Amino acid sequence: MPNQSIDRPFITRGVARCSGSKFLLWMAPWTALLLFGLYAAALCLIKGLNQTNMDNRFAFGLWIFLDLTVIALGAGAFFTGFLLYILKVDELRAVINSAVVIGLVCYSGAVCVLAVDVGQPLRAWFTFWYPNVHSMLTEVTFCISCYLTVLAIEYVPIVLRNRKLRQIPGFLVFEFELHKLIYVLAGVGTFLSFFHQGSLGGLYGVLRGRPFAFREGLAVWPSTFFLFILSAAAVGPSFILLTTWLVQKISHKRLVRPEVLQLLGRISGSLLALYVLAKSIDTLVWINRTSPETGFQAWQYYSWKPFGSWLLVMEIGIFGLLPTLMLLTPQLRRRTGWLVTGASLACLGAALNRFVLTVQTLALPTLSFDRFLSYTPSWQETGTFLAVVAYGVLVYSFSFRYFQLFPQERELKVEAPAVEEQELVGRY
Amino acid sequence: MLPWNYGFHWNTGHIVFLGAFYLVLMTVAATLIAAARRSRKALVEHRVEQIAWHADFHDLPARDRACRHVLTGEFKSRECPNAFDCRECETHAKLIERHSLPAAERPEEDIFGMAFPLDRYYHRGHTWVHPESDGTVTVGLDELGARLLGKPDGLDLPPAGAHVEANGTAFRIRKGSADVRILAPVDGEVVETGGPDRGWYLKIRPAQAGEAAFRHLLRGAEIKPWVARETERLQLALTGPASTVTMADGGVLVPDIAATCPQADWDAVCGEMFLEP
Repeated sequence: MPNQSIDRPFITRGVARCSGSKFLLWMAPWTALLLFGLYAAALCLIKGLNQTNMDNRFAFGLWIFLDLTVIALGAGAFFTGFLLYILKVDELRAVINSAVVIGLVCYSGAVCVLAVDVGQPLRAWFTFWYPNVHSMLTEVTFCISCYLTVLAIEYVPIVLRNRKLRQIPGFLVFEFELHKLIYVLAGVGTFLSFFHQGSLGGLYGVLRGRPFAFREGLAVWPSTFFLFILSAAAVGPSFILLTTWLVQKISHKRLVRPEVLQLLGRISGSLLALYVLAKSIDTLVWINRTSPETGFQAWQYYSWKPFGSWLLVMEIGIFGLLPTLMLLTPQLRRRTGWLVTGASLACLGAALNRFVLTVQTLALPTLSFDRFLSYTPSWQETGTFLAVVAYGVLVYSFSFRYFQLFPQERELKVEAPAVEEQELVGRY
Repeated sequence: MLPWNYGFHWNTGHIVFLGAFYLVLMTVAATLIAAARRSRKALVEHRVEQIAWHADFHDLPARDRACRHVLTGEFKSRECPNAFDCRECETHAKLIERHSLPAAERPEEDIFGMAFPLDRYYHRGHTWVHPESDGTVTVGLDELGARLLGKPDGLDLPPAGAHVEANGTAFRIRKGSADVRILAPVDGEVVETGGPDRGWYLKIRPAQAGEAAFRHLLRGAEIKPWVARETERLQLALTGPASTVTMADGGVLVPDIAATCPQADWDAVCGEMFLEP
């Protein structure tokens, strides 16, 4: 029977969505989690950063790790846009709307957490008005703010295509005209992403006082600048793949053709291969030249447990080389289990890399009177972190219900799935 | 770092960084302004209907955007680049010049038990156009469209004197959960309105005189393969994941399909068949 829920006129014609009550039931726990997180964030804003377990010595914690990770994972938005609108890889039209929503969620979530992390959000505008010329964070702040604006503008046509909203002539026409110019925004997004992903990496690479993170490079850019760009471009498509597969599983629907997911896997795998190669060379140079020149042998960093050398093996081997092989081998890529596992490992690799650069870097002692520090986030920090996750799920769920995130969904409703595809979406 | 800040000194880095930053801001702002200005212009020039159709056409599945010459087998596959407006299509003009459509042998085609008189033109949105002797044309729903909607629950017809344009909204029909717009097959001015009981819905004085006004419409030998394809599309539209509706070979469509299959999502089926995704 067709869905007769009260919000039916707002749902795209020809797609099936669960009843309104079921949707509310799904949203309820995430809303509760968001409220809990907002309470935790409010405590940090009202009482101050003493609510966190960070201090002057350990100034980057869970929040910065979260920011770096979601910004890397959200890179799928810019990279998919670049491939679709600039390089004309038309197959990616099937996931571009979803990629924009994911990008928007990731970037807006990161900016919200940064607003709490700044401690005095009312003075957040200082960074624009009195920027520190010598800080890579300045470039990051400017680029992320601009790119978030671009993502919000890219989200507008998706919203205005809503079945009910497009009945308003002004909305319909503006959406149509804006969409015709979307390639300009895709180009701007690529430019901005290139620099802020790089600057986030460069931020660690220029830390001379932290030889574990310090890297040599090209002109003013340390190698981490380029590694961050490459890793973000590599895991962005994997995250799109992963979320699409997850939404298919949860909604019990076929949303994109398997070839699209395989293409995302192939793109991700190719870039990951480049990244693993570059990261390996960078690590070898660091072990043999950069680190000794700063007065430390590389093995010394890994003598502090639990941050042993296993982290390096995991980062390059298990979360780098292994997913590269999974995603680049056609026979494995055609099997959903391998494809999704490869994409998951790639995303975890990016998260681990950001964890190592944020938490491990700050935990290691660098001066003779310094000591190894351990850091465990407070419940307020964790709550704020979870609020971002809940916010992401809520925005994405709302968008999935009311906007056309996967244009192939309607067509796939009537097409018989291929045998291998059946395992991709579970039951129907 | 900003030029108006205390202690600011220009250097190459500042010029490059600020230049890039302001360029980005200006590009984003210019894009928004351009979109807003183009939108305003489109609204002033009353191009809303045209844009709505282009947006709808863009949303159709690729298989539903097939060129009319695919229906007749002249092309194996080709997507219509003109949103079903063959009046501007060079390929269509060339093909028609090379071999014009053979005249129909009978005055009426009986396709799967549906009557498609060949004295008229057909639009792919399931309307027909019959030229009258007084220079006007009568517009009605073709047999498949009429059987899909059965007896409508509601009808929004444009008033006499209203202007309609090809592929814009001619009128709206409500049937159960479905509320669909029916595409106008020609440009022109509405001179009279009818209804399902009269067998036609609109009488239009075409904006263009002669054959050119109907160049984008299907005719003669094109009708049969098109209806066959449309029947297949209907079968697909009725075959949802939870649907049990099937169309047995050899039968004919019942007069009121919606009444026979109440369990189908008729809003979606009508949207699919009347090209309003």
